[in-house]
Amino acid sequence: MRSGVTCHQINWQDGVSMVKSVTILGLESSCDDTAAAVVRANGPEISVLASVVYGQTELHAPFGGVVPEIAARAHAEKIDHCVEEALDRAEVSLSQVDAIAVTAGPGLIGGVLSGVMCAKGLSAGANLPLIGVNHLAGHALTPRFTDGAVFPYLMLLVSGGHCQFLLVAGHDDFTRLGGTIDDAPGEAFDKTAKLLGLAQPGGPSVERAAKDGEATRFAFPRPLLDRPGCDMSFSGLKTALLRARNALLEAQGGLTAQDVADLSAGFQAAVCDVLTEKSRRALTLFKERHPDTPPLLAVAGGVAANGAIRDGLTALSRREGAGFIAPPLGYCTDNAAMIAWAGLERYRAGQFDDLTLVARPRWPLDSQSAPMLGSGKKGAKA
Amino acid sequence: MPPDPWVLAFDTSAAHCAVALLAGKTRRVCRVDSMVRGQAEHLMPMLETVLAEAGITWRDLNLIAVGTGPGNFTGIRISVAAARGLALALAIPAIGVSGFDTLAHGQAGPLWSVIPARRGHFYARYDEGPITGVPLQLSAPELDQLTGQKLCRTDVPAETFVENIARVSLGRADRAQPRPAPLYVRPPDAAPSNITAPILLT
Ligand SMILES: Nc1ncnc2c1ncn2[C@@H]1O[C@H](COP(=O)(O)OP(=O)(O)OP(=O)(O)O)[C@@H](O)[C@H]1O
Repeated sequence: MRSGVTCHQINWQDGVSMVKSVTILGLESSCDDTAAAVVRANGPEISVLASVVYGQTELHAPFGGVVPEIAARAHAEKIDHCVEEALDRAEVSLSQVDAIAVTAGPGLIGGVLSGVMCAKGLSAGANLPLIGVNHLAGHALTPRFTDGAVFPYLMLLVSGGHCQFLLVAGHDDFTRLGGTIDDAPGEAFDKTAKLLGLAQPGGPSVERAAKDGEATRFAFPRPLLDRPGCDMSFSGLKTALLRARNALLEAQGGLTAQDVADLSAGFQAAVCDVLTEKSRRALTLFKERHPDTPPLLAVAGGVAANGAIRDGLTALSRREGAGFIAPPLGYCTDNAAMIAWAGLERYRAGQFDDLTLVARPRWPLDSQSAPMLGSGKKGAKA
Repeated sequence: MPPDPWVLAFDTSAAHCAVALLAGKTRRVCRVDSMVRGQAEHLMPMLETVLAEAGITWRDLNLIAVGTGPGNFTGIRISVAAARGLALALAIPAIGVSGFDTLAHGQAGPLWSVIPARRGHFYARYDEGPITGVPLQLSAPELDQLTGQKLCRTDVPAETFVENIARVSLGRADRAQPRPAPLYVRPPDAAPSNITAPILLT
């Protein structure tokens, strides 16, 4: 689905009939992408009128990951430009917008604040309702507007900063079935690339290198597979890769292209195995809780771009008799269309905020489960 | 711009939300609420109260003036981002005014403008009349060496400070201005990656 193109029809499932079309402007600035988007619902028909993302990869490239202060500085001076461009491309003026939705957390607080304050300025100046959106809810609700997913479904959120299974039963009803207890896989891909001298972001370059590699040459661990449940761990895998690399450096003084390919393939296979097996267990839990619903697995986050992981999850879903949704990449990684969409679902439910809206560095989606310690390159978020 | 434009000025570069509303050169409302944190939640409702006190609405405003620091990094971003959002929605200009320009406003002769920074340091700028110097960071001993020169410090009341932000912006409103941007002076703390890429053997 490209911006400007009408996507799937939505089954609202809430009995609310919307007489007029609703247009939401969304803002996102919680990590290293500044984004704005315009999404419209016309009855059951959803269209993304524009989705603009300004990335910051080059700004952070010289450092060991996203630098919060650098990110915050960029967001504060880019977010309004991003909004202007989104409105321009959508050919919509603020007077045609019904509400402003903005990521209010979780994330890097300096960036979140820039977005929230710009949104407050827009909301006050244009006299429009303000809606604070949880960034993770944005990811988790994406399959609704890209593929018309119907509640309940199982969501695997896997990115540079997150890794968790969510049972999505409503636009404001999330249960976490498990998640990483340390690093997120995207972060591990990025670190692996750095260790192997591959380009950042690490995901795509490790995937490319892995194509010519022999995954079985190095016996990398599959952490926590021996334990029940859906929790995951990736820091041990990172360490194992570091050890294998250092052993080669010591023995040979460097790495051959084949070494890099084999290490990449071995690492990727381990991540893929863990995600696939834990997804199987999460699907089992889903079937237990919703025996009468056809199971559906959806994935979002940058790591969902990985071909091997997609293939693994596709095959798993087929074996398990579950549907599988992987939204187009531009809506898997950080974007504002998902924020506008989540805002639209809140708009329908009459859930609004006012100008005292608080920006939150941490904001678990599932208030029932214990907080996760799982962090990522962006620090603990949820 | 009308002859007596409504100017709304605000600043969160220090431990406060400071707001001034002027009609032309006349100060109509001025309020300072002290707080170490919580400016992001407090600022916008406070601006609405100030407008209400003067009996006007957002739509009546002609100009937004915002303090760009230097000062607390988060604080200056809060005001700058809000000012940009307001300017976009109201289709009026937002003008950023640095703390140095604010302190030097209406002062004659060569002078140093000095603003406290973290860890006992100071942000300072030396101006000779209209020729403004480069913003610097000074340690306390370095600041002490300036004795005998004219200093302007932020111990002016915050009310005067934010009112002067409005006055400086009025002086610039006749020509196009860049969008307000924070003045950090200090580069971000960031250490380069400590992982060195391996040698590739052929
Ligand atoms: N083909 C790929 N294979 C594996 N990982 C990938 C691939 N493409 C991208 N990634 C990883 O995805 C991550 C970026 O994803 P994304 O933009 O969704 O999340 P993020 O910036 O970490 O934000 P958040 O966690 O806040 O959603 C990076 O760590 C990147 O290496």
